[in-house]
Amino acid sequence: MLKKVEVGPAGYMPQSAPQMGVELAPEGQALLYGNAVTPEEAMRDAAIALLTKKNPTIFPGPQVLWDWKEDVAEKAAAILDLASEIPNCKIIPMPDYRPKYPKIDVKAEINPNHPNLTILDNKIDACIFVGVHCHYANLTLRMIRAGTSCYTVALCAYMGHEEAMASIRDLHASDIQKFKEILIEERNKLGIEWTTTLPPENPSLPKEDFGTLSPADYGEYRSLIMSKKGEHVAEVE
Amino acid sequence: MSLKYITPAERFKKYLPKDYVELVDYGPFGKTQDQAGPGNMGQFKELVEEHPMCSGCWMAYYIRLIFASLPCPEETVTLGTAGCGRLAISQAAVPFVYGNYGDQNAMASGLSRAFRLRFPDKTKDVITIAGDGGTMDIGFSMTMHSWIRGERFTTIMLDNEVYGNTGGQESGMSPKGAVLKMAPFGKNFEKMPATGLAIAAGCVYVVRMSPTNIKKAAKVIRRAIFVAREVGPTFIQAYTSCNIEYSIPTEEVFADAKAQEKDRFQFEEFMTDEAKAVIERVEAEEKAASKARKAASKAAAAEVN
Amino acid sequence: MSPNVKPKLNKKQVDINYLLKEAPREQHFITGAQAMSEAVKRASVDMAIAYPITPQSEVMHLVGNVYAEGHIKEYYRAEEELGTMSAIAGASRAGVRLFTATSGPGLLRGLEAIVSWPGHRVPAVLGVLTRVINAPLSIQPDNLEMAYIMHSGMVLLHAENQQDTFDFTLAAFAIAEKVDVYIPVAVATEGFFVTHAKGYVDMMSEDLTLTEFDPVAAPVPAMDNETPPARIQRDAPVQKSNFMSYLIHSVWQQEIWDSNRRAMKYIYEYLGGPIEVQNPEADVFVVASGCAAAQAREAHRYAQEEGLSVGLIKVRAIRPFPTQEIRDATANAKALIIPEHNIIGWLCKEVQAAIPNGGIVVEGPRVYGGMTLPVELIMKEIYDSLGVENNLKL
Repeated sequence: MLKKVEVGPAGYMPQSAPQMGVELAPEGQALLYGNAVTPEEAMRDAAIALLTKKNPTIFPGPQVLWDWKEDVAEKAAAILDLASEIPNCKIIPMPDYRPKYPKIDVKAEINPNHPNLTILDNKIDACIFVGVHCHYANLTLRMIRAGTSCYTVALCAYMGHEEAMASIRDLHASDIQKFKEILIEERNKLGIEWTTTLPPENPSLPKEDFGTLSPADYGEYRSLIMSKKGEHVAEVE
Repeated sequence: MSLKYITPAERFKKYLPKDYVELVDYGPFGKTQDQAGPGNMGQFKELVEEHPMCSGCWMAYYIRLIFASLPCPEETVTLGTAGCGRLAISQAAVPFVYGNYGDQNAMASGLSRAFRLRFPDKTKDVITIAGDGGTMDIGFSMTMHSWIRGERFTTIMLDNEVYGNTGGQESGMSPKGAVLKMAPFGKNFEKMPATGLAIAAGCVYVVRMSPTNIKKAAKVIRRAIFVAREVGPTFIQAYTSCNIEYSIPTEEVFADAKAQEKDRFQFEEFMTDEAKAVIERVEAEEKAASKARKAASKAAAAEVN
Repeated sequence: MSPNVKPKLNKKQVDINYLLKEAPREQHFITGAQAMSEAVKRASVDMAIAYPITPQSEVMHLVGNVYAEGHIKEYYRAEEELGTMSAIAGASRAGVRLFTATSGPGLLRGLEAIVSWPGHRVPAVLGVLTRVINAPLSIQPDNLEMAYIMHSGMVLLHAENQQDTFDFTLAAFAIAEKVDVYIPVAVATEGFFVTHAKGYVDMMSEDLTLTEFDPVAAPVPAMDNETPPARIQRDAPVQKSNFMSYLIHSVWQQEIWDSNRRAMKYIYEYLGGPIEVQNPEADVFVVASGCAAAQAREAHRYAQEEGLSVGLIKVRAIRPFPTQEIRDATANAKALIIPEHNIIGWLCKEVQAAIPNGGIVVEGPRVYGGMTLPVELIMKEIYDSLGVENNLKL
């Protein structure tokens, strides 16, 4: 197969996949390296990548992270089922789309304005995006292909993504289950032993106790906190 | 109330960054002002936390106050334009629309009308928060015409009397005589009469203030939002000094705001009879609800004892 | 906002394919302005925002009537074009279907907002009823303003006549709202020549209307407090001076033009393709869009009558530009004549850039400032290209 879209890094300012002539897969088909193939073929290649490359990670987006639609629970369950079959898989969410300020916690989340930071810091060589709105998914996939060596899988409820190495369109929970079955098949073929295990929880900082919080807890950001009655904050950066 | 879109999917909750989970568990969504409002800022997960405003910025404080005062943050959309303010507003956990230069009130006209046609049975609060340049200079026509058309949303002008974000140029709201960039000999005309213009253009609730008193400032913000829901356009001109361009030492920022309260930002509150009726009704309802809650918790406490 | 009670209509919602291709049609004799408003009537538009400028005003008057009849939910006259176009951008965040229209100087006044629609992912439809750009002041048709839209990222269709205006406008809503497109579509046609002149238009019943806008099927979340995420800034400023800020802006721009590119398949599906070719084996082609295509069609007919080897290429889509289609259609041509209603010859430049042998392009004829385009001007170029003796005195 001629790989129109390949694992990066594609370079400083590469052409987008549509600029290179890649078109979205028609209904009933998937994209693999920019070529229209059967969903099964794309899933099989993606499964092998997730099983053989370093630090496989699933990046769920807002459409599956928040409980806003009927089908979310089912999709969320299917994604976790899939994740627990990928050896040492991590889940790093993309909870929203605004750039992170002052600094992203790359262990805890990924952001479409600078996705490469999370990919590079965690040395992720294979990943799945699911539930990210298409505009941001395209931006993210393009930046990852430009600047990292990560194999990208896009599971899309709409028309899919040209930039991903493997792109599944019109995604339902049942497609995720099917993907999981294919992945287990490939895992057995590769002779990888794995007990179904859920990925670890989000490693972000332990929660603050807002009941006992005082300005001192804010450290260098203390000056941004309003002074309490009678208190005079004189020292600032 | 549509808390669904800010509630994590059950199975993913433990995979979300704590920040987001806490926003739902300890944030102001779906809560009352007694539980999470200006009165206990610093003790709940606020909508605005980290932001890149200058140290000692009075505008950052006021923006934080705006978000703590929102009557219904989960049903609120804010709009803004170029200027310092948007650096903090865009960090809030409330949708923020950033368009082009000074077009916030035109966008809000379209947005608030579209909300009313899509959600005839819901209340969605639309608030534009822009600086003095965005509201009264480059956005003047769009600001005025949104008021003249009677568009039902709230306009908040963060009046720091200067173009802070672009480096300290004279604005229409700068006081006469101020020596600023693009006014090397000092501004040679008067500060624009924003509240007078607002009243003339048909705003039904108009306030000018220096927000030195948290309770009072919060009350004004909420009044402006409640009235905009039912009656018509509302406007707040708030003094939010630029300590950088006006060289106000950080420790004197509050004193300066206090001083302005007696000078260019003397408290002025205008309301039409219709606006007054809404305010009286809503505040009586809030008072009654708060009383009922207190009585209920007292009763519950008594039962435990 | 509207104190007047609008009638509740009981219209049947149908999908764009049925509406455009299958629904029975009847012939009407109407102006281009009427044709545009009749399309809007059948498009389940939620909100239209109007501001007068000749020759567009007629369109938005009629759309106002369509609103009063109950086909549109909300309509108002804004303060001026920047206010109009900004309000469209604002309303779009709420997830509704939007329409507005403008002309020449009005388009330029609203341009700051209009050119940011694609980046803001605003799937609105914009009618462009062409008019000269001042100075000196004139209200006459000239399509120079289209050149400003060509580089904005919007999809740009150019209607030849009243029928095109109707069909293109209806199709524009469907194209704009595709999840893989989701950028604004401009439907341009010449002021007065089309807007104020009558032509035959086949239209389906006004009891039919396009399926309503779906705010969920979108590549960006509606900012309606119903769609996650909560902390959205759909298009946050990324002005920091670092590589990441430049990178996000660059891929964002790519995404807009990719979306523009993806619109092409829908132009095939709904409009039969971006170009129409008559007499594909000809030696000389007249390549034209909009009103100039109507005159080119007439020149093509003259040439047929005279037995000359002349073909016609009508360009329906200016963006995405049918580069490959034109290259293929003109592969064996000896000369391309490109009549236009503007001084800069934007179509001519596009065609020259699209083909490997730009030297075969005859740069004209062009008329501007509101002048009509006599067929004889095109015939003269045809005769000259074919080396046919003639006594045309122009």
